[in-house]
Amino acid sequence: MARHLALDVAGLARRFTTGRRRDRRTIDAVRGITFDVHAGERLAFIGPNGAGKSTSIKMLTGILQPSAGSATVLGLVPWEQRRALSRRIGTLFGQRSQLWTELTPRASYRMLGAVFGLDDALLDRRIGELGELFDAVELFEQPVRTQSLGQRMRCELAACMLHEPELLFLDEPTIGLDLLGKQRFRDLLVRLNTELGTTVFLTSHDVADIEHVAHRAIVVNHGAIISDASVASMRQTLFATKRVDVGLERAADPIAISAVLGDGVQVTAPSDSLLRLDVDTNVRPIREVLDLVLETLPVADLTVLDPPLEQVIGEIYERPA
Amino acid sequence: MSEERGVRPYRRAIATEAARELASPSGLAVAGVFYLMVTAVLSGLWATAASANGGEIVGYSATALVWYIATAEAATVSLPLRLIEEVGDDIASGRVTSELLRPISVLPMRIAVRIGAFLPRLAVCVVGGVGFAWLIGGSPPDALALALAAPSLLLAVGISLVAQHAFAGMAFWIADAKGAWFLWSKLVFVLGGMLLPLEVLPDTMATVAKALPFMAMAYAPARLASGHVEPWLLLVQVFWLVVACWVSSSVFRAGERRLVQEGA
Repeated sequence: MARHLALDVAGLARRFTTGRRRDRRTIDAVRGITFDVHAGERLAFIGPNGAGKSTSIKMLTGILQPSAGSATVLGLVPWEQRRALSRRIGTLFGQRSQLWTELTPRASYRMLGAVFGLDDALLDRRIGELGELFDAVELFEQPVRTQSLGQRMRCELAACMLHEPELLFLDEPTIGLDLLGKQRFRDLLVRLNTELGTTVFLTSHDVADIEHVAHRAIVVNHGAIISDASVASMRQTLFATKRVDVGLERAADPIAISAVLGDGVQVTAPSDSLLRLDVDTNVRPIREVLDLVLETLPVADLTVLDPPLEQVIGEIYERPA
Repeated sequence: MSEERGVRPYRRAIATEAARELASPSGLAVAGVFYLMVTAVLSGLWATAASANGGEIVGYSATALVWYIATAEAATVSLPLRLIEEVGDDIASGRVTSELLRPISVLPMRIAVRIGAFLPRLAVCVVGGVGFAWLIGGSPPDALALALAAPSLLLAVGISLVAQHAFAGMAFWIADAKGAWFLWSKLVFVLGGMLLPLEVLPDTMATVAKALPFMAMAYAPARLASGHVEPWLLLVQVFWLVVACWVSSSVFRAGERRLVQEGA
């Protein structure tokens, strides 16, 4: 049986007017985007600053009316049925907190549970389930101000899940987290999706968020969709390049190193003690290159980076239509 | 999942915010010390002025003035001085927009949260104020009037809270309304009777001040606590509370509609 649509968006557009009288100008923040998302999908909605991501999320959650186009979210028109929709979706907007910092998350959850109409018995059961799922039973009893950002974001995510939303909107949720915090957060999103069936709609600047969380990614730029593809296929094309920064104990000749590392690896030397390797993982597995680097070079430090989002978008534009 | 049940979310919001306020006793202590300092200075000034004026000013004895100032200060110090600015910032920064994502009205929930914050502060001010006034001014001028002052004090803070939200709502239309709190505080200081009994003002100004809502935010409970058995002041306060609720809910409804239609 075909899965039903969680989001059905057609020609959605939003124009803003700014300035006064003679300085008045219009900005097309979102220019007629069309896409759909099936229930249970994990979608990344990505693009650079000002691409129209947040404006799109505002329209899809009902807190902004579009200038044109239509959308249904879980069968509801968001800007006409916002309150009904809010009972069925969860939202996490970056660093905007729902929790009282001086109190424990549990105290905040009791308040938020009342807002969503959960009775105390159901709420306690729900907090217990989320504590287990998020491995955060003790964290829920610890005042928020004493928690690290990563711990707080786990508690924020749990707050969004109290009322068992069918669809979760996350706007830059990993911003500011350290590497471990990001990884734990991504794992949680995947678990929410696989264990509870929650549809995930994620915006992020971080290519790794997309690779680890999403099945599919829609790339927007200047308010329009420029790519809509599975993450697996993007991995083969757009995310295939990994950058490896190698800190050296002593200077090395990049031309000689390039010869040693072979095909699929482009070598540059920003300084005497730093080598930059751009590895095409379609040609050379990253592990093979790393092994070779560790064997042949005087390595002091080593960092593997995803391509920046701007580079990915640049490559999308360069691809033949 | 059960449906939202009436006042439960608001009750829970009051309790949660009160717990938050109590979790940082240093904040309460600072508010209490500030309250006692201001009350001591102003009541000292007025008691001296009354003594120099033959023992009373416009019908207020030195004792009555101490009770007046202690009550008027409690009504104003219980709320943050810059409440209007804080609410305005929440509107301008988009925090209010994100509150639209909850299945509950924004304004009543905000008011409930603020009630939770002011109740512990008010309790500190009342305990400190009653102790101070009794010690410095002597026993209250009239027990019945003091009993009437208790609900009047709650109404005064409630009216001020709701009215300040109405005033802060201008941030839905004006990007920078930061200075509004300053204007508001001066109006309450003078026309609300926080610094001085309204009877001290020139006749015309006193008449105007008594017709304005600011009198319900400080003067009314202070007048009662200073020994004037005038229960009609409570009715006036109820009237201004209804007006403040109507205006603030209209402002927020229109502002929220604007946010959704035009964006932040």
